[in-house]
Amino acid sequence: MPVIEVADLVKEFSRPTRQEGRFAGLRTLLTREQTVKRAVDGVNFTVQQGEMVGYLGPNGAGKSTTIKMLTGILVPTSGTVTVAGATPWRDRSRNARRIGVVFGQRSQLWWDLPLRDSLWLISRLYDVPEARFRERQRQFSEVLGLGPFLDTPVRQLSLGQRMRGDLAAAMLYDPDILYLDEPTVGLDVIAKERIRTFVGELNRASGTTVVLTTHDLDDVEELCGRIILIDHGKVAYDGAVDELKARYAPHRELVVQTDRLESVEGAEVVRREDGKVWLRFDPVRTPPAELVAAVLERHRVTDLSIVEPELESVIHRIYADRG
Amino acid sequence: MRGARVYLLLAGAAFRAEFQYRGNLFINIIGGLFYQGVGLAFIWAVLDRFGQVGGWGLAEIAFLYGIRLTAHGLWLLPGHQLIHVDEVVIEGDYDRYLVRPVPPLVQLLTRRVRLSSLGDLAGGVVLLSIASASAPVDWSPGAVCFLLLAVVGGALVEGSLQLAASALVFRMKRVSPIKFAIDMIFSDFGNYPLKIFGPVAGFGLTFVFPLAFVAYLPATVLMERGEELAVPEWLAWGAPAIGVVLMYAAYRFWERQSRHYESSGH
Ligand SMILES: Nc1ncnc2c1ncn2[C@@H]1O[C@H](COP(=O)(O)OP(=O)(O)O)[C@@H](O)[C@H]1O
Ligand SMILES: [Mg+2]
Repeated sequence: MPVIEVADLVKEFSRPTRQEGRFAGLRTLLTREQTVKRAVDGVNFTVQQGEMVGYLGPNGAGKSTTIKMLTGILVPTSGTVTVAGATPWRDRSRNARRIGVVFGQRSQLWWDLPLRDSLWLISRLYDVPEARFRERQRQFSEVLGLGPFLDTPVRQLSLGQRMRGDLAAAMLYDPDILYLDEPTVGLDVIAKERIRTFVGELNRASGTTVVLTTHDLDDVEELCGRIILIDHGKVAYDGAVDELKARYAPHRELVVQTDRLESVEGAEVVRREDGKVWLRFDPVRTPPAELVAAVLERHRVTDLSIVEPELESVIHRIYADRG
Repeated sequence: MRGARVYLLLAGAAFRAEFQYRGNLFINIIGGLFYQGVGLAFIWAVLDRFGQVGGWGLAEIAFLYGIRLTAHGLWLLPGHQLIHVDEVVIEGDYDRYLVRPVPPLVQLLTRRVRLSSLGDLAGGVVLLSIASASAPVDWSPGAVCFLLLAVVGGALVEGSLQLAASALVFRMKRVSPIKFAIDMIFSDFGNYPLKIFGPVAGFGLTFVFPLAFVAYLPATVLMERGEELAVPEWLAWGAPAIGVVLMYAAYRFWERQSRHYESSGH
């Protein structure tokens, strides 16, 4: 059953047109001409209960604007968003209880109060029973390692600590849907990994639906089965990560450490370096097992591996194709 | 009542935050008192020079001033954070208020406390208590009741104008000059009997910019000077109700305008 349904969604921002020439500043202030920017341009998709979707695109593609409409922060210019049967911006309070929201760039916590106070306040705002609150806080302290900084004012937390606090705050009242806008931006590798593990576990254990925007492809590779690729406000691809690779980068590469290898049938030599040879092949036409057998039969091989195409290069290709 | 509980919860959080990092209660209250004291000293000087203004002596004007100041303090205590509406909206901090199960305006108003507004209120209450004793008012229980209602109504009138002006922020991005102008009109015209400004200004400050309902109309009828009013007396007695109606309308306007919120670019 779809929990999120997005149909023909459009968001335009208008600004007074910037004037050129003499008194440009003043004339910009007085002009009635508007420049319209279409940040989201006719987006359609649905998300099923329990899905984890990566909403992916370069800077300025319209990811945050979409998330803001999904959460009810922005009212769409046209088109509809339905979350669990309701329109988020109309039915704000009901929607708020069903969703958790984390913005990588902006904390939702009380800046001047200890993290512990923020969590308590949120539990009161969402009417979480006292016992349940204590249980959740203990759980999160464990998996997110909040313990050492629960009593530190939020303004003094590191970015990674703050993100973990924000995640705990967003999940405290057991929402069905979690929206994450660039949750790992600016974090070091360990902090990123911790957050990915938490989100993945949440989805597996509680069936939380997760919509995640990012431009970090590792987030998507690790967490999301499905990606929606967005470019200039339009959906460029919507489907499984595997299919995307199969469609846009059907080739695999076999890397062989060997003495001397000129050519092999069914594969093409694309690179040689340090005694290694990269052989590109299409796994549909040339089954990997056959290729490996063919190489081993004729050459003395000390090492060998098959390399999947990286999502990053796949996506570069898609954007390049679209011009 | 959930609304009141949530308000107190959030206001309490703001209060704790204030004490964790910022100034002290005493200094802030003194600051507020001092600011209002300067205004009163000015009127005092004027009266000392001319004896009367528009047929009102010191006791009458102090009574009017006391109502105005108390109403102002009563509005400012919960409403002072509207001063920051520009920055909250431009910087996109308003985002987070929209994803919580609490009216966004309540969250905006409780984002911080400003303790000096306690000083404004305390100053008003002190002045009003003293002035009430010497003002020519027959203090029946009904009159006391009306005074209290009038003060609340006055707070609602001032609040409704500030709230309506603040609501323009969603389209205009920068409304503090408008709100500053409103505040100026209140402090420049609000503390005198309106009739001294002539019939045109009197009409404007009653029906266009409803300043008269804050203190002038209720003070006049309480002192039984109703015959000098340009409007029917029942309208003056209805001032508290006008406050409620205006505040309701302003809140609806705020809610409608907030649909134009654009967040910030990140
Ligand atoms: N509040 C706003 N006012 C004006 N333009 C905006 C606003 N928010 C976003 N935009 C513009 O809309 C486009 C999409 O922005 P955004 O959704 O933030 O992209 P992303 O999150 O994918 O980086 C950008 O060109 C951005 O400048
Ligand atoms: Mg963004």
